[in-house]
Amino acid sequence: MKKNYFVLALLCVSLCAFSQAKKPTIMVVPSDAWCIKNGYVQTFDNQGKTITLPDYKAALQNNTDLLLAISKINEMMTERGFPLKNLESALKTLENQAAEDAMLTSKEGSEVAESPIDKLKKTAKADIWMQLTWSVNQVGPKRSLTFNLQGLDAYTDKQIAGASGTSAPTFSAELPVLLEEAVVAYLDNFNAQLQAHFDDMFANGREITVRIKTWNSMEDGLETDFDGQELSEIIEAWMADNTVQGRFSTTDATENMMYFEQVRIPLFNDKNRAVDARGWVRGLQKHLRDVYQLESKLMMQGLGQAQLVIGEK
Amino acid sequence: MKKFNVMMLAVLLLLPVAGFASAKKKAQKEMFQWRYEVEPTVGQAKQGMAMVKIWTYSKKAKVAVAQASKSAVHAIIFKGYVPAANGMRIQGQKPLITDFNAETEHEAYFKDFFSDGGKYQKFVTLVNNGTPGQGDIQKVGKEYKIGIVVVVAKDALRKELESAGIVRSLGSGF
Repeated sequence: MKKNYFVLALLCVSLCAFSQAKKPTIMVVPSDAWCIKNGYVQTFDNQGKTITLPDYKAALQNNTDLLLAISKINEMMTERGFPLKNLESALKTLENQAAEDAMLTSKEGSEVAESPIDKLKKTAKADIWMQLTWSVNQVGPKRSLTFNLQGLDAYTDKQIAGASGTSAPTFSAELPVLLEEAVVAYLDNFNAQLQAHFDDMFANGREITVRIKTWNSMEDGLETDFDGQELSEIIEAWMADNTVQGRFSTTDATENMMYFEQVRIPLFNDKNRAVDARGWVRGLQKHLRDVYQLESKLMMQGLGQAQLVIGEK
Repeated sequence: MKKFNVMMLAVLLLLPVAGFASAKKKAQKEMFQWRYEVEPTVGQAKQGMAMVKIWTYSKKAKVAVAQASKSAVHAIIFKGYVPAANGMRIQGQKPLITDFNAETEHEAYFKDFFSDGGKYQKFVTLVNNGTPGQGDIQKVGKEYKIGIVVVVAKDALRKELESAGIVRSLGSGF
């Protein structure tokens, strides 16, 4: 009997030791401001309003300084044990996938199913964006480089790390040299903040956002009454019970939608498996189905954003 | 009488050894008070390195010079340094360890690490063979304040601390 307990304890310890949280993906991109300043943009007319969007592909194909900066950052991050997703490769993969999907047909002649939402979601994705901006300042023969690197959480819109500053003025150093020096000088401080963000995540849980909506077939929406309790109250109670230390903020709430921010979810579930936003909100989906017989559709975006539309599948 | 003479001779012979041991102990004691100042220097260190000027204090100039290497490594681990104030816009650097209690929590490791001939030596190189530059030897009261330029291999140092389990690597836990 004692032996069995020992084996069980050993199993628990090894499970805990080998559990790994879901790793966020990070990608370096040039900022919109840099792309606009350097003319790497696409403009199109949206119902009379001109929309300007950054053209990453053109930037990567024409600007070798950008390639150098991204490559240097990727190299240093790999050195720190955190390899990044490469923007150029991600764009190429998207193009290849689109070409493959267009050509793909089954033996019976069916095409690959794709909803408008699926089409919209076909963009380069990362959980954390490292947004890069630089500009060269010229005073007479002297040049200096102003450098700005921002780490942005794709789901909470928070800047989780940053490093910025201006280099010492120089008469002779060329732009690639200044750029390389800036990356080397600033990236360690950026990583110190990124590490602090990860430490906070391990201590207080992953921060996510959750959007709740209802299909229009649901007459009273989130005001539907269940034994004297509105559906919105039931959802908030579930959130309070299942977040780390009950930490979440209800940013918006109407009869049709609720928006939760700063939702801290545990990194592992009770089976000690790594959890992301979708896995965690699936708990709410099950709760609504099992207790209140409410069907819902669950959608996700990366590790940190989930959307539940209640009323139908 | 003969016996007394032999004993006196032995005492006289051992006196310098005891004196040397005591001086060494004193220098070691001074060392672990970590009295130093650190500032970035003009000149770009290579990737993964930090070039700093370290100012150490001691009544003996020789001791102050000897302390420079240990103090520089200590500074990179625990203190970091602020950006240069001389208008050269040289970036400051955050310390490798941000937990203030780490030094006492891992006391045994750091005592061994910073001991004479300890591991710290692997991560530091004296610039100009440790010779202070012009104006870098100052007399402050009864003490010498000496500035030495050193290069610390901060990336290798971080890896050492990661493998010792003192700091987490960026990808650990994932």
